[in-house]
This record gives sequence, structure tokens and C-alpha cells, in this order.
Amino acid sequence: MSDILLETRDLVKHYPVRKGVMQRTIGYVRAIDGVSFTIERGKTLSLVGESGAGKTTTASAILLLEQLTSGSIFFEDRDIYKLSNAELKNEYRPKVQSVQQNPWSSMNPRMRVRDIIAEPLVINAKLNKEDIRNRVLALMEQVGLMPEWADRYPHEFSGGQRQRIAVARSLALNPDLIVLDEPVSALDVSIRAQIMNLLKDIQDEYNLSYLVIAHDLATVRFMSHSVAIMYLGQIVEYADSEELFKNPMHPYTRALISASSISGPDEKDESIVLSGEMPSPINPPSGCRFHTRCIAAFDKCSVEVPEPRVFGTHYATCHLCDYEEGWITKSESKSV
Amino acid sequence: MSENKNNDKNIVLQVEDLHTSFFTRKGEYKAVDGVSFHVDEGETLGIVGESGCGKTVTGLSLLRLLPEPAGRIKAGKIILDGTNLLELSKKEMRKMRGKEISMILQDPMTSLNPLYTVGNQIAEPLRQHQQLVGDRVEEEVISALRLLNIPAPEQRLRDYPHQLSGGMRQRVVGAIGMSCNPRLLIADEPTTALDATIQAQYIALFKDVQKKTNVSIIYITHDFSVVYQMCHRVAVMYAGKILETARTEVIFNNPTHPYTSALIKSVPRLDRKDDRLYSIKGHPPSLLNLPSGCRFYPRCPEAKNICRDKEPPETKIGDNHSVYCWGVN
Amino acid sequence: MNAVLEKTKQETHFTSGRLSWLTHIVKNLNFYIPITILTVLFLTAIFAPQLAPHDPIQISMANRLKPPSFLAGGSPEYFLGTDHLGRDILSRIIYGARISLSISFLVIAITATIGTILGIFAGYRGGRFETIIMRVTDVSNSFPPLLLALLLAVSMGPGFKTVVLALSILGWAGYCRLIRGETLKLRNADFVAQARIMGSSPGRIMLKHIFPNVVNPLLVIMTMGVGMLILAEAGLSFLGVGVPPPFPTWGMMVNEGRAEISRAWWMSAFPGLVIGAVVLSGNFLGDWLRDKLDPKLRQL
Repeated sequence: MSDILLETRDLVKHYPVRKGVMQRTIGYVRAIDGVSFTIERGKTLSLVGESGAGKTTTASAILLLEQLTSGSIFFEDRDIYKLSNAELKNEYRPKVQSVQQNPWSSMNPRMRVRDIIAEPLVINAKLNKEDIRNRVLALMEQVGLMPEWADRYPHEFSGGQRQRIAVARSLALNPDLIVLDEPVSALDVSIRAQIMNLLKDIQDEYNLSYLVIAHDLATVRFMSHSVAIMYLGQIVEYADSEELFKNPMHPYTRALISASSISGPDEKDESIVLSGEMPSPINPPSGCRFHTRCIAAFDKCSVEVPEPRVFGTHYATCHLCDYEEGWITKSESKSV
Repeated sequence: MSENKNNDKNIVLQVEDLHTSFFTRKGEYKAVDGVSFHVDEGETLGIVGESGCGKTVTGLSLLRLLPEPAGRIKAGKIILDGTNLLELSKKEMRKMRGKEISMILQDPMTSLNPLYTVGNQIAEPLRQHQQLVGDRVEEEVISALRLLNIPAPEQRLRDYPHQLSGGMRQRVVGAIGMSCNPRLLIADEPTTALDATIQAQYIALFKDVQKKTNVSIIYITHDFSVVYQMCHRVAVMYAGKILETARTEVIFNNPTHPYTSALIKSVPRLDRKDDRLYSIKGHPPSLLNLPSGCRFYPRCPEAKNICRDKEPPETKIGDNHSVYCWGVN
Repeated sequence: MNAVLEKTKQETHFTSGRLSWLTHIVKNLNFYIPITILTVLFLTAIFAPQLAPHDPIQISMANRLKPPSFLAGGSPEYFLGTDHLGRDILSRIIYGARISLSISFLVIAITATIGTILGIFAGYRGGRFETIIMRVTDVSNSFPPLLLALLLAVSMGPGFKTVVLALSILGWAGYCRLIRGETLKLRNADFVAQARIMGSSPGRIMLKHIFPNVVNPLLVIMTMGVGMLILAEAGLSFLGVGVPPPFPTWGMMVNEGRAEISRAWWMSAFPGLVIGAVVLSGNFLGDWLRDKLDPKLRQL
């Protein structure tokens, strides 16, 4: 049976929008609006979407960088919002670490590599200096850094090496879950493969879980076991990775896949190009939030919020899933 | 269909042995170190490479807009429609910019002036180069906006940049670039800052603009999927040199240079699941201190002795395919 | 790795040899000249009793208004001449360095410390604390400093403490604003988020991650502050709310020379020159530091 490490239920985060001298609240930015998923031990879940979809807010909530408006997060079957501060500090925080997108800004430029990697140990673990030193060197070796580089400063390293330092730091406390926020998008093409392979090796070795935030679908397919596609603060499709790429159901997912797949400049353009841009999360569209850009939208979509349709482990929130003939037929009949 | 097209096509831009360096306290950075290529009329040439390979400097060199005084074009020819741009005076070159060649930069947030309306900024090159006045300017501005498929152009031209979304802003930047109907448009990572679906819109739009105006485009990017969707031919740059130039399908399906094939193998695929990615060892070399011989040999899986000692010459493999590698014969 | 090796090779090359050492000095004259001037003045202040040829407050009416020794009528005993009470100008400048410099350094130490602590707290903590602190700095910035000094002088009597207090009460606000601004930028830096993810306490974050990264701008405005404070002290002395006579400060000396400017220009010219030198040195040093510490300028 599956072994669930972390589960989120109905996460909601609304930021108040204030205006005027009195700072009156005139509305809310609905950054995330009911996000639920599970992450299994040793597996990778990817959150995919465009900027403003709510991926980063979700990750920040899990990393306790943001207070949620409502919803709950279960870690090893315990509601983390019901933990005491001491329990959070000792039993949750060290188990959930992160690697950020930009290796140029994720490290204090005034600390040596040795101290950067040691910092989580200094804060949390009750190790003596000698043990910390040995642990740092072991971590550096693990991620492919030479031990003699321990006394250097971050600016002496290339982007790929810095990302290795960040990985070493995130491993220091033996976490169960690492949140990887666009871990390779700031790196050069020839370096990305090195880091992605490293992340996979580490996952296998320590049975780590990853929550990957990404926009590049090919990276996602390589990294993930399951994928959640987000649009305007909600998950619109959620499935095992292979299932999702072979059989995408939501029109938005299909458009995303089409946008990153390969079609040459002179060929007849069959890719799906969505019109318009993502609407404002302050005032999301009625009914299905995607209907303003959906090429298959019909009258029901602007009125009724679609319920998630579940097909085994695969679910999508789209009215077209009710039609057996599929959404392409529907859109063609409509567009004429 | 493209085979016969190539033969009777006009060459718009011919670059020969271009050398551009940056002179700093630490020494000379050979950012572009002997680069030759051409662009046909109505064609899109992609220049792909990793950061620091010299692709952006190549683009800036074509416009002669290098940061002074550190950057300097040391040698070479840049021939646009028979005129060598490097022989023009500064004043003559200014007349070329915006009119014959223009450029789109990466960040739509900073490439527009926040204090002027969109219409004003599109009109700027028109006033400069075509001495248009009054209603004629507005007509041209509207037609430029229409070309870039910007909805309700009559209203949009009175908007300020901050009133537009990122995608719309980048279209306005495109409209500025296209307003004088240039022969050549250099686009430096114009979609990198955009979201996936907006990027798809932009690429579709640019293919359309190209069909309508027959403009030649040099598309600078690091993203292979964009290259595949956008470009007819591709030049792969590494550490200041082009290592391989070929038609896009050839680059993707039958790459000849070890660097090209390694890069393509190391990019994860959307159409299949890989368990491990091929990875190129090491890092690109410092431009201050390039390796002798072929500059890729320290990382090359197929390096031979000769690669270390001598720089490989150009080898032509059929039409439109050239490789700089000792391994090709 | 190659790039790193490259760099170290170059750096060692750069610093080797005597010739490059000389060129290094010539290239960095805008650092060496001001630092020399300030060091000399510092030492002068410390060793004033040993250096001064005369007692700075000893009045000698016989030697009133003697011009500098290199001018006609000057006496070799009084190198820079004497003032209207026959006191040696050179000795007064030397002793004046003690008061003028110690006021400015003391004030800088006090204001920079208070301003940095409050600025980091306000920037990192935010909320009501920040609002209050920022309103207080607004008030400080809009309060006329001379009025405050006059009020203090009236209530406490003029003197060293009054001057230090008057300059400190308003001076910290500038530091506080700058440091808060820098902290706001750093608060959202990825490495601060990372520290929170690792479980760092706010105190540790402020000390380990924020403070070391605001030191650069802090140093820059501290060096520029030296000159500004010397001028401020001179201003206060000029108005008569500074350190009371007979103890010499540079500002007061300029002030006293004012009445005799047509007869004895040297009375105010020489202390004025010294003030100018210190102010310029401070500004040059600040500029140099800014260039040196700014990684963006350092690159090319």
C-alpha cells in the first residue's frame, strides 16, 4: 500500500487588497483556493502552472513561510497546525527542507560554504564541532563537491556548483521531504542534466519525497511520479505522471503540453494556442475559472463550477469529462 | 519545399569572421571569436547556446550597440543588403538602427519607458526615420499594433506600459521593432520571461508577422523547444564560436557535432520518460583563457589528440550544414 | 573549477613585485590621500600635548594678531600666527582636533549603532513597531536641528555633552532609514527564507544574515558622516551653542576670526582649511568605499 508522507486538504490563501488612507479591504487575491494533494514517501509530486497559478504560495504554506487562510496540512498523519511550537521546531521543520530556484541569491554571500552547509546543523542538531565538520564534508562529497572547497565563498562557484551546495544544505538534517522550487530553471542547459540526475540519485538513496514546482513539462515528466496542474489557484488536473502525459484530459493541460512540444516553423500549425492571458485572481471568472481562455468552452462552463471527475487515480475538473466523445469533438461542433 | 527556396533566396545578412572582445582590468574576454553565418530573406536563424557563449554579444555587435568603452568589434564584416555595417559612420549606423535592423530585448518590463504612451513609443522610430507627421504617424502606429495582433489598437496606443500585461507589453516591443518594416529583426530571448501559453501565442504571432512582412529574424535563445518551433536554421554557439550550423530538423534529428548531440541528449523529453539524462561533464571554459585547439575538447566525449592541438576547420556536409569538428570527415 | 583557479592565479600575479605595488598606490590615490590626512589628524589629536608648541588657551596680549611666520611681520615662534588674544593658532588647531574629532566620532558611533539596531528591527519585524519607528524618523528629519541645539543649550548649558546629544538625537534617523531600506530588500532574499526553513530564530537571522549584508552601505555613510559632523559642530560653535571658550574647536576658531577677518584673515582661514580637508577626506573615502564594496561596480 502507498505510504503517505504529507497530505494537504483544501488549502486556501486569500491576501487582502487594501486601498486608501484607511487601508480598507476592498477585495481578496485568491492566491490558492482549495488545493488538496498527497505526497507519498519516496515519490515526487510536481505542481505545474503559469505564474500566478498559486504553486509558490502552496509551497510556502508547506514550508511554514505563509499563514494559510484555511485548510490543513497533515505530516505523517498529524495536523501540523495542531502541533506545539516545540513540536514544529523539532519534528516538522527539520523534516521539510527546500532548494530554491536561484542559486545566486539563496545563500548568504558573506558565509563560507562550510558554514552555509553547517547552518541547519548548528541551529537544530545537538552535534559537537567535530561531528558537524565531518557531516559537512560527507555531505559535500555526496553532492559531488570537493572537500577542499569548504572554505570558499559562494561567489567563487558556478551556478551548477552552487545548486549542489544548496542540495547539500537541504540534506543536512536528514529530511523526509524537500521542496524543489524550479531547481534547474536558472541553470545552463548542459548543467541541468547533472543536477537532475543528482536529485534522482539522492532520492533513491534516502527514499526522499520531493515536491517539485516547475513550469517546464519535460523536466516535470523526467522528475515526477505524479503531477498536479494548477490554474488560478486551483488544481485542474491531477494524475500519475505517465498517465497524465499519455492521456491529458483537461483542455488547459493539453494546451500546456502542446505549447512545449515540438512543431517546426514551416509545418502546418496544429498546436493549441490559447488566446488571452490568465485573469486576475482578485476577481476570478464565474463557473470554470478557465472558461475565458478555453477553446472548448460552452454555455455551461461560465455558469457552473465543474466538479472533479475521477477516473481511477486520474482526476480533472472539466465539464467536458462528462461527454464520452471527448472535448475535441465538442469544440469542433461549437466552432463552426 | 524549402530545398528550392534556399537556392534562389536573397541573402539579407552575411556575417564574416566577426571578432568582438571586452577589454577589462582582468584581460580580454573574447566574447565572439570568429563567427560567420548568413540569414536569408524571410528566414529565421536561431542562435542557441548557454549563458556566456557570446550569443547576445553577437546580436549587439550586429547593431553596433556594445557597451562602450569595454566592448569592441575587432575584426570581421557585417554585410546587410550589400552594405558593410562596420564601415559606416556612427551617424549612418544610427540611421540603420530601427529602420533596417531592429532588436527585441528579453525583458518587456524594462524595455519600455514607463513615462510615455505605447503609441508614442511606437511612433518614435517612425518620426526618426521616415519623417512622418500628424495623422500618418497614427495610421502607421495602428498598423504596427495590428500587425502584432494587439486588440483594439485605437485605444491601446493611448495606454501606458504599466496598464498592459507582460504578454501585451512584449507585443508592443515587437510593434516598435517592426514599425519601420526592417529587413532584419534580432530577438534576444523575447519569450524567456513569459509563461508557457503566452510564449506559444508569441511564437505563433511571430511566424505570422514573418509571413506577412518577409522579415528575416535572428532568434537568440537557450531553449531548444523554442528553437524547434520558431527557427528554420540553427547555429549552435559555444565559448564564442559557432560549432555547427544546420537546418532545424537536421540539428534535432541528426546532430553532427558532439556538443550539439550532447546538448540535445541532455534535455529531458516531453514525449517519453527517461530514467537518467545524459550529462556533459564539466563547465564551459572561461573566455579569458580558452583551451587551445577545439574549445570543446576538455568536455568532449570523443576528443582526440588533434583536438587539443589544432582548432578544427569548417567542414561542409551538403547544403546549409557546416560543422567545426575534427571527428567529421 | 577552472574559472576559480584562473582567478586565484590572476590575483597572485597582480600583487607580486614592487612596481605593481607602486602602481597600486597611484591607482588608489583617492584612498591613500584621505586616509593619510585623517590618520595624521588623529595622531595629532592624540599627541596634542607633545606636538603643540604653545598652550592653546594661554592669553598673551603682547603677541596679538601676529601674522603667520612666512609673512612679513610674522614671528618664527608662531608658525600660523596668533589670534586676537595672542594665542597660537597652530596649537589651537592641534588641540581643536581633539574636541572636533572626538565629537564627530562619538556622534557617529552613537547614531550608527542606534540607527542600525532600530533599522534592522523595523525592517525585519515590520508591523506597528516599524510604523512607529518610521514616524519618529520623519519627525527627526523634519525638526530643525539648530532649534533643538538651542533648546538643549538653554536647558543644559552649552558644552561637549550638549553638542554630542544635539547631534545624536536627530542623527540616528538617517542611519535608521537607510538600514531599514536595505533590510526590507534582504528580508525577502532567498537566503533569508532558507534560514527560516532551517528553523533559524529571528534574532539569529538579523545577526547572521541581515547585519553582515548591511555593513557595506553603513560604512559608506559613516565615513561620509565624519565631514558632515565636523561641519555641524562648526555650525553650532559658530552660533555659540558649542563647546564654550576658551577650549578651542575648529568651528569656534572660524567664528572668532570672523570679527577680525579684515585685519587677520589667518585666524579663520587655517581652521577653515582643516575643516575642508577633513570633510573632503571623509567624502572621498566614502566614495572609494562605495565603489570598492559594490559588487556590481567591482565586476568590470
